[in-house]
Amino acid sequence: MLQVRDGAGEMLGVLFDRYQTPLFNFYSKLTGDRTLSEDLVQEVFLRILKYRQSYRPGTPFRAWIYQIARNARIDHFRKFPRERVFEPEMLPPVIPADSAQEQQEVELLQRALALLPEDKREILLLCRFQELKYEEIAELLGCQLNTVRTRIHRALQELRKSFHQLTQGTALKRANSAAPGNISPRGGCREV
Amino acid sequence: MKCEQIAELLPDYLEGSLAPDQLRDVEAHLEQCADCSEEVALWKKLSLLPVEQPSTASRVRFEAMLQAYQAGRSNQPAGNPEWKKRASTASVFHWLRSPLGAAAWSAALLAIGIFTGLRLAGPKPPSPDMAAIQSELTNMKQLVVLSMLQQQSASARLEGVTWSTRDQHLDPQVLSALLHTLRYDPSVDVRLAALDALSRHSAQPQVRSSVVNALQEQQSPLVQVALIDQLVEWHDREAKPHLEKLRQSPDLNPTVRQRADWAIGKLN
Ligand SMILES: [Zn+2]
Repeated sequence: MLQVRDGAGEMLGVLFDRYQTPLFNFYSKLTGDRTLSEDLVQEVFLRILKYRQSYRPGTPFRAWIYQIARNARIDHFRKFPRERVFEPEMLPPVIPADSAQEQQEVELLQRALALLPEDKREILLLCRFQELKYEEIAELLGCQLNTVRTRIHRALQELRKSFHQLTQGTALKRANSAAPGNISPRGGCREV
Repeated sequence: MKCEQIAELLPDYLEGSLAPDQLRDVEAHLEQCADCSEEVALWKKLSLLPVEQPSTASRVRFEAMLQAYQAGRSNQPAGNPEWKKRASTASVFHWLRSPLGAAAWSAALLAIGIFTGLRLAGPKPPSPDMAAIQSELTNMKQLVVLSMLQQQSASARLEGVTWSTRDQHLDPQVLSALLHTLRYDPSVDVRLAALDALSRHSAQPQVRSSVVNALQEQQSPLVQVALIDQLVEWHDREAKPHLEKLRQSPDLNPTVRQRADWAIGKLN
């Protein structure tokens, strides 16, 4: 019995080691809340334990695990309606990048991402950060492959717009403090 | 081309799956359209977002959750409403997180100990409960193997193959995943490991025929030699014509040809 128990622990442990960081990042980048994200990761593994029979062999495993992850989050917010919304202040510090410019851009990108509606943020995270293939996302969201493409493009368009607003903001600040009128808003982020 | 037309192609462009002529169209458009090229740039930058690490306590909590779940399962008769209530996801966590968490946790460990003791005390016919646990664990193992064989990294797939060898009995799903790995895995190491795992299941007719077929398909001399050796080990006389066909392939590696000759001699 002890052996059997250890066997199961070890096996789920393998999955945990492989997926806890990606899942944690999926949640933390979606909600901006580290504590909640850790809770939800635990919840995902409990559900894997309980519902493992529901996995259909031959279907993409990652789509299945992210399906559980999405449901866990939806269920959580159904039980505990959101007290706070995603605020840029909750974002993690950006690790110093190669250049100050790159670092600033990543910071702005994080803010721009946080400004997106949740479903748009989610699809960008799924394909870009969780590196799910379009087919896996289609399976996960239960929609057509073409719908996935359209939604990715819309999300990207909106990301560009919010990124723009932010760069204009910083460019404006800089312009005000340095040489007003010299920096065009559009080129602002490239000329830093 | 207009932005709207490009928009349809952009996701596939980003994924790198466009046909050459479409790729040319998109690239030409990107050179002269600031908006579209900015979207592409943002897409690329998304991969620069920092990876956050969960706290180290997370693993400890996971272990505790696992123990609590299993302790509960092995001590409560199936279908007991009291246990079902306690097993509900939220309450397990509240229970683990509560000030009583540590105490409950030790109690769970103690319960496992007692249960194990009872099991070891005397041979009893397996209860339906035990059978249920066993079957769940088999499912779990299968799940791990199948998921690991789908991983991007060769080392993870290798680990998946290793997992598959822990069971005497090979599940049909796992068997077909291993056969697929033997044929198509891009890594030689993984293919060799799959062959090794499959070699334990020579009683399955599918296994033997796959190894014979792989002889003609595999290009790597390492794998070819391993396949030949396997056929000799099984003393598979039916493989002889296949080995003869192999040794006649025009661009066969000389070592492989030598090995094939040796094998043909052995199988006589
Ligand atoms: Zn355009």
